[in-house]
Amino acid sequence: MSSPARRNRDPSEVGVDARRRHLAEAFVELADTMVNGFDIIDFLHLLSRRTAELTDVKAVGLVVTDQRGQLRLVAASTEQTHMLELLELQNEEGPSLDCFRSGGAVRDVHLEAGERRWPRFAPAARDAGFATVDAVPLRLRRQTIGALNLFSTSGGVADEDVDVAQALADVATIGILSARTLSEHEMVAEQLQSTLNSRVLLEQAKGVLAERHGLSMDVAFEVMRDVAHDRAMPLSGLAAGVVAGAELVELPAESEAKDR
Amino acid sequence: MTHAREARVWATITARSAGDGARVSPADLCHACADRLGLAGAAITLLSAPDRRHVSGITGKLADALEDLQAVVGEGPITDAWERRRPVLVRDLAAPERRRRWPAFAQAAVELGAGAVFAFPLQVGAIRLGVLSMYREAAGPLTDEELADALVYADAATILTLEGGADNGFAAPADLDGANVASTAVIYQATGMVSVQLGSSVEEAFVRIRAYAYAHDRRLADVARDVVGRRLRLTAGPENT
Repeated sequence: MSSPARRNRDPSEVGVDARRRHLAEAFVELADTMVNGFDIIDFLHLLSRRTAELTDVKAVGLVVTDQRGQLRLVAASTEQTHMLELLELQNEEGPSLDCFRSGGAVRDVHLEAGERRWPRFAPAARDAGFATVDAVPLRLRRQTIGALNLFSTSGGVADEDVDVAQALADVATIGILSARTLSEHEMVAEQLQSTLNSRVLLEQAKGVLAERHGLSMDVAFEVMRDVAHDRAMPLSGLAAGVVAGAELVELPAESEAKDR
Repeated sequence: MTHAREARVWATITARSAGDGARVSPADLCHACADRLGLAGAAITLLSAPDRRHVSGITGKLADALEDLQAVVGEGPITDAWERRRPVLVRDLAAPERRRRWPAFAQAAVELGAGAVFAFPLQVGAIRLGVLSMYREAAGPLTDEELADALVYADAATILTLEGGADNGFAAPADLDGANVASTAVIYQATGMVSVQLGSSVEEAFVRIRAYAYAHDRRLADVARDVVGRRLRLTAGPENT
């Protein structure tokens, strides 16, 4: 579960100052999102993307417990289908499930050697082009509510980057539960279920838009996110409008061309 | 992880029906849920607006009284769960913050003998049908185990309402793939696509995809994958119902 030797970034690779700046910018941006027109799925998507950039991995996904015994995807740095499927597969096996069950980080597992541990997940992740995976828990005191999953195409995640990923996972937890809820047991359930339903709503809206305009699902997501930001409205509000047929989303010219 | 919990919960519901292949009613579900979770009562309330409501299944005098009370005073956990699209879990109705939240409901509910109320929206994304509410005489929270079961009963009530219409009930699904509301992203995406193909609501699209899967003896996720992969379109005609 842990890497044999502590690995550090090559200092020449990214200047320490630049790194600090990026980190600070990401936290400022996330804090800003939490204060202004907060939408949980939009927020977690941004957080996943920033985690991927800051930890220098290819993709990041976030799953939470549905409190019935399953892990469900809520956000990913890329909405491509193979990514969503890799996250959904972890209902059965994978780093997120191991991380969720143990409550501790799953570190630097090489997928080449991971087949015995995860007979379905490891080959699927390898086929998607990934070499190693890491996962850090979404923690609330002694409870674990989910996991942040890091997918790398080359070497794994450096140790100091795992600390960054854990900090971002903690921010995700706060985002999902919102500060006022931390004192109340019931609120955890209420917020988690609400987050999960927002994700379902988003998928339905992606489907509506994909069918209406002939888009792939990941492009449908990007279009909706861009439109929500342009109109300064919450992503789930837009999604609800799209499903109800009340919000007509006009596509920027290049979206149609990007697909098919 | 498995569907062991779903299987257990559905077994308690089907055990209530008249026998193999018999229809399961919303009241059966309320009975099973109350038994399993040690409740004084449970109710399934269908809502299309806060003041447009219809009780499709109910069990227990306390549930009768509290469902009625909420309809009369126009506030309470049922309305909140429906409007806010999230569970409302009230471990102690006598707590001051609950009286502030529901000035008319909370006090009267305690006087009627209720200690705790738990209300779960029947929903799948944009689809929102109503609320499953549960009532206890004693105050106190649901345990994690009880919460997990309660959520699965709410899923079951959602499916039952969608498939059977308001009061008819329906034959319990043969496989738990079909019994499970919470499922994979591709099923929700397909629901959105089919709603456009049919020019229908997402509710109808959801039911149609499920009906198609049953009729062709295929897994729901596989059908959904064909829809999203644009290998299958569902049209308004009768040929693929």
